[in-house]
Amino acid sequence: MTDLTLQVNGQPQAVAVDNRTLLVELLRGDLGLTGTHVGCDTSQCGACTVLLDGQAVKSCSVLAVQAAGRSVTTIEGLARDGQLHPVQDAFIACHGLQCGFCTPGMIMASVCLLQQQPAPSAEQIAQALEGNLCRCTGYVNIVESVQLAARNMAEAKA
Amino acid sequence: MNATESIAARYGSGRNVRRIEDPALVQGQGRYTDDVVPPGQLSLVFVRSTVAHGRIVAIELDAARATPGVVAVFTGAELVAAGLKAIPTAPAFKRPDGQPMAAPPKWPLAHEIVRYVGEPVVAIVAESRAAAKDAAETVFVETEELPVNVDPVRALRPGAPVLWEGAPDNISAEMRHGDAAAAEAAFARAAHRVSLDLVNQRVAPSPMEPRSVLAFVDEGRLTMRLSSQMPTGVRASLVEAIPGLKTEDVRVLVGDVGGGFGMKTGIYPEDITVAWAAWTLKRPVKWQAERLEDFLSAVHGRDVTSRAELALDAGGRVLALRVRSIANVGAYPSTTAAAIQLLIGPWVATSIYDIALIDFHFTAVLTHCAPTGAYRGAGRPEAIYITERLMDAAARELQMDGAELRRRNLIRPEQMPYTNPMGQTYDSGHFEKILDQGLALADWAGFAARKAESAARGRLRGRGIASFLEWTGGNVFEERVTVDITPDGMIEIGSATQAMGQGIATSYAQLAVEVFDVPIERVRIVQGDTDRLNGFGSAGSRSLFTGGSSVRVAAERTVDRGKQLAAQALEAPLADIEYRAGRYAVVGTDLGIDLGALAGRQPQGHLFVDSTSNVAGPTWPNGCHVCEVEVDPATGAVAIVAYASVNDIGRVVSPAIVRGQIDGGAVQGIGQALCEKIHYDADSGQLLSASFMDYALPHADGFTGFKTAFDTSIPCKNNALGVKGVGELGTIGATPAVVNAVVDALASAGLGRDAERVQMPLTAEVVWRALRGDFGPPVFAAPV
Repeated sequence: MTDLTLQVNGQPQAVAVDNRTLLVELLRGDLGLTGTHVGCDTSQCGACTVLLDGQAVKSCSVLAVQAAGRSVTTIEGLARDGQLHPVQDAFIACHGLQCGFCTPGMIMASVCLLQQQPAPSAEQIAQALEGNLCRCTGYVNIVESVQLAARNMAEAKA
Repeated sequence: MNATESIAARYGSGRNVRRIEDPALVQGQGRYTDDVVPPGQLSLVFVRSTVAHGRIVAIELDAARATPGVVAVFTGAELVAAGLKAIPTAPAFKRPDGQPMAAPPKWPLAHEIVRYVGEPVVAIVAESRAAAKDAAETVFVETEELPVNVDPVRALRPGAPVLWEGAPDNISAEMRHGDAAAAEAAFARAAHRVSLDLVNQRVAPSPMEPRSVLAFVDEGRLTMRLSSQMPTGVRASLVEAIPGLKTEDVRVLVGDVGGGFGMKTGIYPEDITVAWAAWTLKRPVKWQAERLEDFLSAVHGRDVTSRAELALDAGGRVLALRVRSIANVGAYPSTTAAAIQLLIGPWVATSIYDIALIDFHFTAVLTHCAPTGAYRGAGRPEAIYITERLMDAAARELQMDGAELRRRNLIRPEQMPYTNPMGQTYDSGHFEKILDQGLALADWAGFAARKAESAARGRLRGRGIASFLEWTGGNVFEERVTVDITPDGMIEIGSATQAMGQGIATSYAQLAVEVFDVPIERVRIVQGDTDRLNGFGSAGSRSLFTGGSSVRVAAERTVDRGKQLAAQALEAPLADIEYRAGRYAVVGTDLGIDLGALAGRQPQGHLFVDSTSNVAGPTWPNGCHVCEVEVDPATGAVAIVAYASVNDIGRVVSPAIVRGQIDGGAVQGIGQALCEKIHYDADSGQLLSASFMDYALPHADGFTGFKTAFDTSIPCKNNALGVKGVGELGTIGATPAVVNAVVDALASAGLGRDAERVQMPLTAEVVWRALRGDFGPPVFAAPV
């Protein structure tokens, strides 16, 4: 067991974990943040995507101990003061989700993309989300959601 | 504008609304089964067969039992000794010798024999998942390996390995439909005959949430919380399997479901084992399937190998359709698996065409593969793939435009209601109108110029069409709906249909808003609790037309009941009471009472209406899907460059949801056409495509530029809403449209009719080889 401290959604957390614990297991288990999902065993599906120091990572491919001293943002940490993040809002507006299982990962990957590329093309969005699988939407409305979020975020800044 | 119009205009049927499901889901507040962790929860992990066929000689469990944290270990022999029963098959289907459908007993854990790789053999229950997995690593299952066969065509040959002694010929069930002699006579006199050998490959439904089961004992009752499309069916199967368990002892709960696609319609052996563990240990037990486990032992879809033939006259009119199909239903077929291939597919095989003569011979065979089951479309994709591939082959044979050949064979509107040779009656349809719109949307006439433009860039352009119909409904037409109005004015609607991501709660809420005339925020939809409501559940695109129709009826009955109660409360004649926007009023006065206040005045403190109603029959949605592809002759890579579809789906309640169903469904159909394949090794029976690294699901960088249109002018006559099921239409149309387009590209690149020999999935390798004349081994090495 290893003691570690980390920031999760802005809150300091001190936990003791078995060394083999994956970051996603820590989030879903001890921390009770079940919005981060597990859809595969081989880091293909991206349902477990979270931000680690602002970078999108698949939390099934990160050991919990690797997050020591670092900052993790999960889907639960996106909304501010009861206001949805523009990406969350855009997914609703564009019907970018059906069953919702891939959605937290899709949204976190999209948030990371828009931080780095505020005005991506449809091709760039598709490329950025290539590591996130969705079986319901066919990605059609997901790409639209990210485009809408980009426009709304640009307008909010202007 | 009065209040009534404004509310219906904003939220009612036919309007785009923000889904009521979404605020929770985009914030990670969904409640999928694995998100629920009761105190003291144990984890269950399965040890699975590593061989495809073998006799269990011994199981070494001492080390597992001694592993720290392990609470219990179960084997098949122990469960059989405890009196657990095998999952039964219904006697509806027969073998050729008249005996009932053959299927080996499907025990909760394998007993004596294992029959496919991944069959659950041992269950380990421990304080943590890590402990259970540690223990599982120590288990040694000694098996005496037996001969293996994963090939359905081979299964029928003499000397093939026998899966179960109850079927020495490996035939589980068989059906013949139509008039073989009359069809043969039609073929004999036909001006043209075309024949195709087609493999509709095995695929994995792959909802993003794998199976997930939590069982616990609550006040002496077994409570199952799982990811399922059919909670009542799960309850019934548990009662059948577990000795002494009565229906009233079981409660099945379903929270959010991370996709179903048919894969979550039945009970799985694993579900029963989890239930038994919780029931006997008196502690909560969770099994969360890994993706590997879903590939290994959740049902697969399709897997039908066919020789299909069409007889046509000189003018291109189809005289007869003859299909010989061999369906690989795997090791432990369910009744559903047989029904999909032997009955449901054949129901739609003649599709939108006026074909008088059929000769169908369908055989479901046993192999050492995982069982098949429902997967989006369930039989209809297989049937329509055959029909639409044949239509293009016939057009090529007659040197006729494929759309024109189809047009000559369409059922005409004046033939409605139309009964096809399988005895299925279509209530409505105007197929030529849909065809014309589809061709226009796809700019069918402008193809030559686009093909030339592609050729200038060194690409082979092809065009494919699928014009088709499908059946929806499960043929269960009754639904019970409850309406519960509380004093705060909230309207809670209960239904035994099941949400699985399709947005059915939003559609129901829109239907309720239309009747109750209140903002959508006042409507709450409750599903997934067998203590409250029971029914068939959600499958076969049935929920909106059956459940939604019943929501409408229940809401209307509630408003009517309220009107009587309001008349009493307001001491006015019933005829003078009018209802509007959540309030009853006495006409011409300012006397009135709000719906919530009226509910609060009832003796029970709320207004509860329990309503059961029926629709008259299934729905027959239909469409014309046109796809264009470009093939890179250097690599064989296929790119979809255009996809247009016009869909007759009757009236529409939630347009964005419908479009999402059709486009998302089409991407699944494209997945089967181009990249998805469950692949078992022919010699060992090992599953070679057991992860998303080896099984290619469509990704975000695939085609998303769909032009999708609806024709809502042809309402279904079998339900009062006039809606037709939309969940499977996209999937059914896309696969043949895409494959026809690739075949067209290859045929016009010099392969001619040889191009028709390509088999799905049309990966770059398959297409590259085809361009060089290599089509792989023949589908049928010997007569069938």
